[in-house]
Amino acid sequence: MRRMNVEKHYYLMLLPGMVWLVLFSIVPMAGIVMAFQNYNPGAGLLKSPWVGLDNFRYMFQLSDSRTVIVNTFIIAIGKIVLNLIIPLVFAILLNELRHLRFKKLVQTVAYLPHFLSWVIMATIVIGIFGYYGVVNTVLGMFGVSPQLFMADAGIFRQLLVGTDVWKEFGYNAIIYLAALTGINLNLYEAAAIDGASRWQLIRNVTLPAMTTTVVLLGVLSLGNVLNAGFDQVYNLYNPLVYSTGDILDTWVYRLGLQNLQFSLATAAGLFKSAISFVLIVVSYRLAYRYADYTVF
Amino acid sequence: MKRTMATMLAAFMLGLSLTACSSSNSTNTDAQAPAESSGPALSGDDLAFYRFPEPVDVHIGMPVDPTDKTLPAGDSVSNNQYTRYLKEKYNINVIVDWTAATGNDFKQKVSLTIASGKLPDGMVVDDRSFMTKAASSGLLYDITDLFQQYQSTQVKDIMESTGGRAMDNASYKGRMVSLPNITVDTDGVHLLWIRKDWLDKLGLPVPKTLADIEKTAQAFKDGKLGGANTIGIAGPSKNTFPYATFLTSSNNLGGFDPLFGAKDAYPGYWLDNGDGSVTYGTLTEQTKETLATLADWYKKGLIDPEAGTRDNVGDPINANQTGIFFGPWWSGGYGNGDSFKNDPTANWQAYPVYTDDGKWNAHMKTTGSTYTLISKNAKPDVVKAILIMNNALVRDEATFDLSVAVGWYPLRNVMAAANETEYEYAELLKVLKGETQAEDYNVPNSLYKLMYADAKKVKDVIKPPYDELNVSNFNTANFGDFQRLYSLLIGDRPFSTVPIDKKVFSVTYNQTPTMETKWANLKKLEDETVLKIILGQAPIDSFDKFVKDWKAQGGDEITAEVAELLKK
Repeated sequence: MRRMNVEKHYYLMLLPGMVWLVLFSIVPMAGIVMAFQNYNPGAGLLKSPWVGLDNFRYMFQLSDSRTVIVNTFIIAIGKIVLNLIIPLVFAILLNELRHLRFKKLVQTVAYLPHFLSWVIMATIVIGIFGYYGVVNTVLGMFGVSPQLFMADAGIFRQLLVGTDVWKEFGYNAIIYLAALTGINLNLYEAAAIDGASRWQLIRNVTLPAMTTTVVLLGVLSLGNVLNAGFDQVYNLYNPLVYSTGDILDTWVYRLGLQNLQFSLATAAGLFKSAISFVLIVVSYRLAYRYADYTVF
Repeated sequence: MKRTMATMLAAFMLGLSLTACSSSNSTNTDAQAPAESSGPALSGDDLAFYRFPEPVDVHIGMPVDPTDKTLPAGDSVSNNQYTRYLKEKYNINVIVDWTAATGNDFKQKVSLTIASGKLPDGMVVDDRSFMTKAASSGLLYDITDLFQQYQSTQVKDIMESTGGRAMDNASYKGRMVSLPNITVDTDGVHLLWIRKDWLDKLGLPVPKTLADIEKTAQAFKDGKLGGANTIGIAGPSKNTFPYATFLTSSNNLGGFDPLFGAKDAYPGYWLDNGDGSVTYGTLTEQTKETLATLADWYKKGLIDPEAGTRDNVGDPINANQTGIFFGPWWSGGYGNGDSFKNDPTANWQAYPVYTDDGKWNAHMKTTGSTYTLISKNAKPDVVKAILIMNNALVRDEATFDLSVAVGWYPLRNVMAAANETEYEYAELLKVLKGETQAEDYNVPNSLYKLMYADAKKVKDVIKPPYDELNVSNFNTANFGDFQRLYSLLIGDRPFSTVPIDKKVFSVTYNQTPTMETKWANLKKLEDETVLKIILGQAPIDSFDKFVKDWKAQGGDEITAEVAELLKK
């Protein structure tokens, strides 16, 4: 109890977050029961008829469900991998820059897009890849006829991953930059005295020192394997790219909010949450084993 | 450990977005009889425009156009000339519970409102499935009896002008559970809109058939009449469709409806085969042929290369990048105001598209597609107030100061006689030619509620000669008046003056029970196939596979249900 008193202000600081959590994450969980009901808004959660696993059965009968799950995995994994590697390369390159003000400038410019919402970013992306966009104008100078990038199911995933990395790499590099400043300068000095080139310094000093951070970030992002990015996909897709671009979240949105199939949408959302939950537990264990990282 | 659990639970919640609308409060589930709580001994229009002795609070949810700038400073969504009018004349207090931007935001809010089972007293929704979902969940007030008592004669006349179709549209299982929207029939008749000034420049005749349109589009493109990036024919955006369907049977700006009609194809409509069976129009051989033609045109570069992926249908039209598009009567004038602002000589004219043997085929719309929903939990006085608000809008819309957009009128759901546009077309020409005077139309409670106001201003907007109206006849000083009269007199000319050889109605304009679960999937299949064929991303042969898949994935089952409807 005395400890409680000493730490009172910490608990106070925790309070707003906890209230938020309870209101928006814990209380609404009661709604999960909708997945096992034929939900009738007039009857409410308590009186709607129970249908067991019917919604799940129907969900897997729909030819869409497989497409959507596959798309979600491919897009999310693409984003996870590239969002690990590109920021790392960027951070190391930035770290090699000697001109301090230029370095700061590059860093600031690179992480600016992170603060724009996808509603705005989508307009920019379309401005670049649209039929009369920048890319087609440049291609046109070389005599290539304009391409419909936004309607091409063959490249839509690449476009999603690419633009996501472009938006986030500057921001994601911050953790790496922090890790880089943590490397003991003596190591560099010692290696330099031994005659190591700059490339060798990166390979033998910087990269090994970064391994823990990379593994940690990689493992923690496993929990996001089913988060392919609703905002981005929703603002960029169209019926022509449903076959490769439709993801679980956009599908749930269309089922629930556009087609009013509340129970089916909840079932799809619950399915996603269940898998995410398992992945988070696994990644937490892995993080503990390989990076000696624990939150709790 | 507590924190552990909390964080884990939070993680578990990732993505479970829908459940936020959960807790149920169906405490007051007893059906409320439409009791005469404050029944005055009045009838007819006295009752229809009854002023409540005590103020009545009406809670509403309302769409708001975020680009609208017509509301005077100091006024708000719940305090403006329309709410003050309702307060003064009828003692109705409008209380806006929530607002959402028109379009997707509003749809989403309505959807969540229905999911939570907590409807405001009144809201106007723009999709029949919202109405049926709320009705089947027992969330709506049965207004069957109250409506009979409280409708004004004007509203009654308008309802009757549809021959009972509006009442059907507003009903669920034989009970009236919403106020229907009744729009002019011509909203569902899609026309060829073409730049007459471009035709004149090239010395070309007005195209009549598909072959003519192809040649004309090619000529516009070759002549670079809309600049270097001239688009032959405008197409749909990523939110609109290549043709109107039985669920959204009207106002398909930027679709290809007249082209399908000219090939005797009616995709998206349930067609009565005359032998007790029905066919879904998209599956027909004629639709396939039309798609092949469209794919061919697209390949030749005659159709907007960004069709199906564009953000906004109107962009190339308003930028005067194209000289051909398809849409109903209001598409030119109301629908493309910026085109005239950008080029005052843009002489848009509307024509039917004919089959090779000179027939005009058109698919026809349902009565209206928006619905005023009234909550089951509303008090009888509140229901009456909402009915009176509707009567008042129909009677007094023409008298309002329209410099404040009429969209701010609470629970505005348009009711117009089905032939209002044709009537106005004919009568306005008479006024112009001096055969009648504006004062002749000063008839209180007329079925044609805007006629008098239009008749008073038509001579200010349109200059002689009157026999062939072009954009040069119009005065754009009051741009709102210009837009309305342009649409009426040029946009509705074909439907008013040219008889349609074949009018095609859908067997149903509503969802059947199986559609509630399976239609979304089939529709997606259809949209994807059709767009891919037009854009050349799939061969025309993929159409046959689509037909097979469509039937197997529930289409046959639904077709049988629609055929059942025919028997009634």
